Formats: sequence, structure tokens, C-alpha cells
Amino acid sequence: MSVAVKISESALTASESPSRDQDKPVVSVRSLSVEFPRLSGAPTVAVRDLDLDIRPQEVVGLVGESGAGKTTLARSLLGLPPSPGHITAGRFVFDDKDIFGLSAEGIRQVRGRDISMVVSNPRDELNPLKPVGEQIATVARVHLGLSRREARQRAFDILKAVQIPDPERRMKALPHELSGGMAQRIVIAIALVCSPRFIVSDDATSGLDVTVQAQILQLLKELILKRDSSLLFITRDIGVAAHFCDRTAIMFKGEIMEIGGRDSLFLTPRHPYTIGLMSAFCHNDRLRQVWSTQNEQIEVPAGHGGCPYADRCPNASQTCLDQRPELKQVAEGHYVRCHYEVAR
Amino acid sequence: MSSIRSFLLNRLVFVIPQLFGILMIAFFLVKTIPGDPAVLMLGPNATDASVAALRTKLGLDQSVVQQFWIFVTNLAKGDLGTSWQTTRPVLEDLFQRFPATLELVTFGLLSAILIGIPMGLASALKLGIWGKISNTYGLIVGALPDFWLGLVMIFVFYTLLQWAPAPFGRIDMIVIPPATVTGSMVLDSLIAGNWEALVSALQHLLLPALTLGIVASGPIQRMTQSMVESTLDAGFSRYQVISGLPTQMVVKNALKNALPSIITIISVLYGYLLGGAVLVETVFSWGGAGQYAVQGVLNSDVFPVLGFVLFASIFSLLVYFIVDVLYFLIDPRAGS
Repeated sequence: MSVAVKISESALTASESPSRDQDKPVVSVRSLSVEFPRLSGAPTVAVRDLDLDIRPQEVVGLVGESGAGKTTLARSLLGLPPSPGHITAGRFVFDDKDIFGLSAEGIRQVRGRDISMVVSNPRDELNPLKPVGEQIATVARVHLGLSRREARQRAFDILKAVQIPDPERRMKALPHELSGGMAQRIVIAIALVCSPRFIVSDDATSGLDVTVQAQILQLLKELILKRDSSLLFITRDIGVAAHFCDRTAIMFKGEIMEIGGRDSLFLTPRHPYTIGLMSAFCHNDRLRQVWSTQNEQIEVPAGHGGCPYADRCPNASQTCLDQRPELKQVAEGHYVRCHYEVAR
Repeated sequence: MSSIRSFLLNRLVFVIPQLFGILMIAFFLVKTIPGDPAVLMLGPNATDASVAALRTKLGLDQSVVQQFWIFVTNLAKGDLGTSWQTTRPVLEDLFQRFPATLELVTFGLLSAILIGIPMGLASALKLGIWGKISNTYGLIVGALPDFWLGLVMIFVFYTLLQWAPAPFGRIDMIVIPPATVTGSMVLDSLIAGNWEALVSALQHLLLPALTLGIVASGPIQRMTQSMVESTLDAGFSRYQVISGLPTQMVVKNALKNALPSIITIISVLYGYLLGGAVLVETVFSWGGAGQYAVQGVLNSDVFPVLGFVLFASIFSLLVYFIVDVLYFLIDPRAGS
């Protein structure tokens, strides 16, 4: 697919990051499944048999459309799958600790201290009645056992680190007095105040202006690298992932369809869905047409046990309906879940 | 802080027109009640001429509008009229009786808060069996008529169990009541250091206050439950959980965010109880302003009724005023 190669080249940034493949992963998810019960019939599978490794200082992107299970995955990693979902299988080893094996109190202590989350709609995520400085300090006080004064100082320092102008005054500000970008920085400050080793960013900057978004992403990445943390960066915008992430996973209906390093994935995308996502960001009607029309020659019955993308895939065949494709390696660190992966 | 001052001044400006409107409506409503005080005062053997003479003396031969005008001009001079039943100025009667009602209503409301908020929290947090009990309690209690509940309480705790004193008045006949300072029997006994009177006053207060408290705890339980449920489901509460804050802290913050609505329902209940106390006062022969007003209605004695309405509305407006101040203290966004 030479055209696809061209798109991904245009989406690629100049910066290259060194490979850290030798490092031991700090986050290791194995065979994670999350299901939502339904009033009748089989439960909806939001995340299916998912494996994911993230190494220290690595930024891994997770891209997918709405309903792909991105947020469910993010919250499940904190032991808080969105209600009424629940984790039905899998292990999550973080820093040699089995997170899902911890007690409720044990996992609470991990949240916010070792694993934290940056959320979107930051103004709704902050307590409207408390000054933001106090909200940051509370998290530090609870997790690090600091005194009120020490916690305040730490909150002040992190506000400076997230580059909030006039941090002294902002400490006393209430959430409704802040702009969206400012509130996003506060949420990042809360997520970073305990210097966690792993941060999940759930669509964090999607509500912001493009320019503010770029600033905040830049800042987030710098802070994470400086603090030796890792980041799972969830987004719907494959373009942002291309700029921002060392590796990117493409998620569809609860499964990772393709995952690879930046160069490999964006220069040689192998899954039809990945190419479809990329072409959606491309101003080329013909390309978009080709990769977003389904194959009309096959009939896709509901509830078939094959590839979840079969009903939308232009390359689908009978095999795709009969067999669920496995994730297979196509290049160094580049895996794809497709019977007929697109040739280079 | 200047915003709170201008807001409250704004409220004060409207107090006089509000009171005037309330009195006007009350006056015309009371005047539509059939019955002629002159006939009642003079008894069945009075001659038509003497009734007519008394009507002229009382101003009853004038139009209702003129009567209202006279009432208002007298009110401006601090004269609330005279009750023909007690033959005393209404203002004096009310000053004597209103504290009793206020004591009953205040203790009733306090017990409603002490019952309602914990129960609302229990059902919002779904604390197992306690949550279910609270939920059912909130549904049932809101539908109970207060006077009926009062009678049941008397039957159970006085007639059957003999735990409570006879439902007559605010203190035992044989106990010497403390000197009046605040008008509240409980507080006055405390001030006087009269323990015997204090115990007796509390014993007498318990059943009527609990009657009002149980009835009023229903709405408080419901409001607490629904508000805490929705604040716990709000983004900021979930983010506190995600940030690993202890459950206690998350619930405390949720309750604080729910508080303005809970305070609103409490303030509305305060005014409502003041009216509702009328029946409970009668059941327990409390001798407060509510009972006084009921006697007024039954005997075409207009001025006690209007006086009670005036006192109750001033009190309600005062409560709303305090609630507004509380809003400012709780929610820093209120002024902006």
C-alpha cells in the first residue's frame, strides 16, 4: 500500500526516540477481559484478552474510536472499571506487584500514588467547593503522609512545574475561576504530585484548543520523562499519537488490532483498520473511500466468532468470519491481528 | 464579601412588601370565614340593637378594605389588636406563647436533622441492611399525618408503657417553672440551674418534638439520599476515588456539596413545622401560639390568627435570610 506509506510519512514527526526494548516493563497486562452484564443474553465484552507492556519512560498511545473500550481499559487498570462492568480475567503486574490481587485498601493506596490518571473535562473533575491548591495538597497528604504545610509546599512546587502563571494566587482559586487549559494543568498536577511511576491519560486534552493542547502535551511528556514515569496515552486522534507516542496500539471493540513502534506502525501500517483511521485524517477522497467501504461480496452474520472488524473491512473474506485472528509479529516490535495483513 | 452584603441588603428591602402581601392575603382569607364575633361575644340572648352597637364599636360595619386599612395603621403603631377571648392585646399573648411553639418546632427540627441526615447517608451509601431500612423509613414517614402520629405516641408511651408524662402542657403541674428569660422551658431551667424543672420540661418536650421530628425527617432523608447519590456519581467524586482518597473523605466532600440542597429543605420544613405544629400542639395541649391561633379561627377571633401569621412569616423570612448567609459560607460561587 504505497499510498498509506505516504500518509504515514506526512504524519510522522522528525523527532526520534531511542529504543528501550531491553528495559524490563514497568506495566504488564496479561489476558485482561472486562465485561458488562446485560439484562438478557451474553454480557458485552468491553475489553477482550488484552496484553500490554509498557517500559519505564515509555509513552504508549492507545487509539480507537468511541466504544473501543479505551476508557474501560484505563479505569480497569486502577481497579475501577466503569459500573456495572467488572474484570473477568487477567493479571496486571505493576512494579512486580499483582494489582488485581491487592485488597481494596491496598489498591486505594496505589491509586494516585503509584498509578494516577489524567482525565478530560477537568473542570467537572475538580471539587467545586475547594481551592485547587488544597485539592492537590490533599492527594499528597493522603498518600505521602506529609504534614499540611509540607503538602502545601509540594502542591505549590507542582503548580510551578505545570507552568501555571502566578501559582501563589492560583493555589487559592476555585475550579470555576479557571480556564479549561488551566484546569487541565491542575488535573495534571494532581496526577503528578506523588511522582507516580505510571500515568494513564484518558483523552485528557481533547476538550482544549489545539494550541493549548499542544502546549499541555509537551509539558506532560517532559514532566513524565523527567520523573522517570511511563504514560499510557489514550486518544481518538491518531495524528496526536503519531506525534507524541513511542509506540501506539490501535484498539477496536476491546481488542488491540495492531501495535508497533512509531516508525514501523506509521510508515508501514498493516491492519486495514489502522489504515482506515489514518485515511480518515487524510484529505484524499479516493483513499478514504477505498479504506472505509466494506467488502460487499461477503455476508456478515451477527454474532460470528471471527474478526471483530470483519463487518467493516474492505478485505474481509470467509476466513475472517470463521476464525478469530491472533496477534502476530510482522516486524521488530510490530504486531498485527489480521488474517490478511496489508503487505508493505 | 461586598457581594454578600449587597445581596443581603437586597433581600432586606423586600421584607416589608413580602410581609404586607402575606398579611393582606391572610386578612381577606380570615374574613371569608363565616361567623360574627359580635354575636359570639354577646351570647345567644343579646338583642339585635346591642349586637349592632358592638359591630359598630369593633368596626365590623365598615367594608373589608377599610377594616384592613385600620388593621395596618394600627400595626404600624405596634398594635396587633385585642383578642376578645383573652381580652388581652394579641402582641402580649403572642410574646407569651410564641416561644413555646418555637421551642417545640426547633427541637422537632433538630431531631428531624439528627434522624434524617444519617439515614439519608445510610441509604445513599447502600450500607447493607441499614440502607434498606432507611430507604423504607423515608418512604413511609413522609406520608404520616403528624397529629395521628402524636396520638399513637401518646397511646404507646403514655397509656401503654407509662414512660412519658401525661400529654398536658410543657412541665409538670407540681414542678415550679423557672423564671422566664428566653421563653423556652428547657433553656430557662438550664439558666436557672433548676434540674427538676429541666428534667420535667425535657420529658414533656420529648413526645411532641419527636412527633414533629419523625414526620419532618422523611423529606430530609429523601433529599440527603438523592443529593449525596448524585454528588457521589459526579465527576469530581469519581476523580477523588481515582486519586486514591479514602472513602470517608470522598463521602465527606460529597455531603458538603449536597449541603445547600439539604439546608434548603430544612429551612422550608422549619416554616412548614411552624404551621404543622398547630395540630400537634392541640394534641399535646402545648399552650403555644399555634393552639392560640386555632382557638382564634374557631371563635371568629381574627386578631390572634393574623398575629400568628405575622409572627410565623417574620420567623420564616428570618430563617430564609439565615439560609442565604449559610449558602455564602458553604458555596464560594454563590456571590458570583
